[in-house]
Amino acid sequence: MSTQTTINRTEIIVTGFGGQGIILAGRILGMSASLGDKKESTLVQAYGPESRGGACNAQVIISDVPIHYPYVNTPKILVAMSQAGYDKFAPALLPESVLLVDQDLVHPENVPCDHFAIPATRMAENLGNKMMANIIMLGFCTAITEAVSSKAAQATIAKSVPKGTEERNIEAFTKGFDYGLSTLKGREKRAAGQTGALAQ
Amino acid sequence: MNNPTNDNPLNILLFLCNWGAHAAFLTLQDQRRPIPNEIRMVRTPCTGRIDRAMMLKAFAKGADGVALVGCEPGTCRYGSGTATSQRNTQDVQEILDIMGLGGERMRFAAFLPEQSEELLAFLEDFSANVRKLGPAGIAAAPVVPVPDLAARKQELQQLVETYDIHACQDCGKCSSACPLALIGKPFSPRAIASAVITGGIHAPGVQENAWSCLTCGLCYDRCPSAVNFPAFIKDLRHLYRQTALPGHEVHGGFFHSLMRSMTSTAITPKRWTSLPEEIRIDPESTTLFFGGCAPYYDIFFGKRMEVETNRILLDSLRLLNFFDVAPRLLADERCCGHDLLWSGDKDNFMRLARLNVDKLNQLGIETVITTCPECYMTLHATYAEQGLKPNFKVVHLYDFLEEQIDKGAVGFKPLDRSITFQDSCRLGRLCDRTDLPRKLLKRLKPVQYTEMKESGGAAICCGNSAWTGCDSYSKALQVKRLEQAHATGSDLMVTACPKCQIHLKCAMEDPFRREQLSIELMDLTSVIAQTIRWE
Repeated sequence: MSTQTTINRTEIIVTGFGGQGIILAGRILGMSASLGDKKESTLVQAYGPESRGGACNAQVIISDVPIHYPYVNTPKILVAMSQAGYDKFAPALLPESVLLVDQDLVHPENVPCDHFAIPATRMAENLGNKMMANIIMLGFCTAITEAVSSKAAQATIAKSVPKGTEERNIEAFTKGFDYGLSTLKGREKRAAGQTGALAQ
Repeated sequence: MNNPTNDNPLNILLFLCNWGAHAAFLTLQDQRRPIPNEIRMVRTPCTGRIDRAMMLKAFAKGADGVALVGCEPGTCRYGSGTATSQRNTQDVQEILDIMGLGGERMRFAAFLPEQSEELLAFLEDFSANVRKLGPAGIAAAPVVPVPDLAARKQELQQLVETYDIHACQDCGKCSSACPLALIGKPFSPRAIASAVITGGIHAPGVQENAWSCLTCGLCYDRCPSAVNFPAFIKDLRHLYRQTALPGHEVHGGFFHSLMRSMTSTAITPKRWTSLPEEIRIDPESTTLFFGGCAPYYDIFFGKRMEVETNRILLDSLRLLNFFDVAPRLLADERCCGHDLLWSGDKDNFMRLARLNVDKLNQLGIETVITTCPECYMTLHATYAEQGLKPNFKVVHLYDFLEEQIDKGAVGFKPLDRSITFQDSCRLGRLCDRTDLPRKLLKRLKPVQYTEMKESGGAAICCGNSAWTGCDSYSKALQVKRLEQAHATGSDLMVTACPKCQIHLKCAMEDPFRREQLSIELMDLTSVIAQTIRWE
């Protein structure tokens, strides 16, 4: 068996309020990795009172080799859609982790790692359904972290969401994905010193 | 005159000042000196009276070279004639350069009465030069055919049917909405409609009205029977032009001559020659940016006022670059033909349209982006309506920007101005896109954004369209619009069409009301380019 260091393994925690579709987002991530990208994946989902309104979380591991232990201790990616969820898992972040938040719901402080923000819930409201915030976040996460491929994620979304809403969910995913790409591009431009359209 | 022209392939027009240089020319004739055969002399009271429209019209009517010969600076009998002429010549030279005819086909020189030999040397040198350049290649304007009354009647009948003029209920909603009628002009869309039905289209009042219509589309917007009045006026003008010479063009028909000249395949325009270095373009791209006539406007109107419409094009390119699009540009870009079509010259419009569509199709262009609302409407809708088959998609720059900005991570710097917005009639009403610029305007961060009393679908016109029929009522309209802008408490009027800028700016030049009317104008494209930033 290969050693820990050579294994390409991504540990993800998605957290938020129960009802935001956190578990579904985690499941789509895991299924996209295993069914679409042909990798191994596991999902541990929070049961109990949390999934009915409290802080809730889904723990996903994506790996090239079989996974023996499904719980996540140090997430490589933390997706936070509620302040409570963020507060709970923030201490576990490492400097090499990536944090993704809904900027209207989570106000991270003293983040030890790289972090990105998207107004996912607001964007979902503009699309006409707040329930799609999780899918937008999924698109954003896919663009920023490349944990799964966009194609696999879209295929899984089409199979996982309620019948008749596939197209709108794909649209929401694309929105989040484009926002992610745009964010990365913006970073690159700012790093290169090109913030505006006119020569500075 | 000793310059027979029948066997001459070239035509050089010589405008000769009556006072000084003409005596020198007479001496040459008296002494039977060999004046080049191509030269056709026109004696004028002062070269300063040959305006830029006449110079360009000479080329549009088949001249291969134009020379102005006047008096030495300081010897002008009228004081400023020489200076005016030099300035005019320079403007036209610049425009000929961009058009691709070449500024060297136009020359100004000054001679004293006794300098006949120097004059001859000048004429010989100029003729030799034009001979070297060869024919300009612009077909002479066709003669107006003898009217075929039966055919005309048939066409008029067709017009009534096409636009369903009989559906007009004579309710008068059009007149009560028409900006021209409201400003006090004896003008009535429905009166034109009934004149057409009753066969009175050649009554002077009706003709005058048809040529001063703004084709802004406000009446069409209000018409309960949906009579498409702007399109009807467009075709009616075409009908008029088949039996009458043009005569309602403003600015001496300068722009019509310009556009008509561009229908010639013999000329290759030279556009985009002095782009700022930082702008990136890609000659292989399948996305093309179509600029429009802004560079010509800046030269032409620069004589009287400060207009910077070319800046809109540069800012558009900067915005495309901002989103990592390096577009292709057409070095030999011609006019879209909008103003020809809307001033009755359908034949030449079709010539231009065919040239443009063939060129873009042949280059394999997939997307054309433009920021001019007239180019947008013409390329996007009119070409297909006229039966051409463009293989490319036409996108307004605002659509492109809205799509990109909506992806997120792009924001705007605060703009320390209070703004209001002047709608473009072509984009707003004729293409039904009043919401498009507003989506972008709402993203900006000005101190405040206030709409004028009449805005969006009800917006009133900048005063003129298609360079036709401008009069004192146009001015009154512009003044009204500027007063509305001031009433919003704004200090910046954002526009969406280069012509709105030119027309509103012109009204501000009023020496008695400059203080009350002046307001800074800036195109929405430039406002965005100034404030957009990556977040």
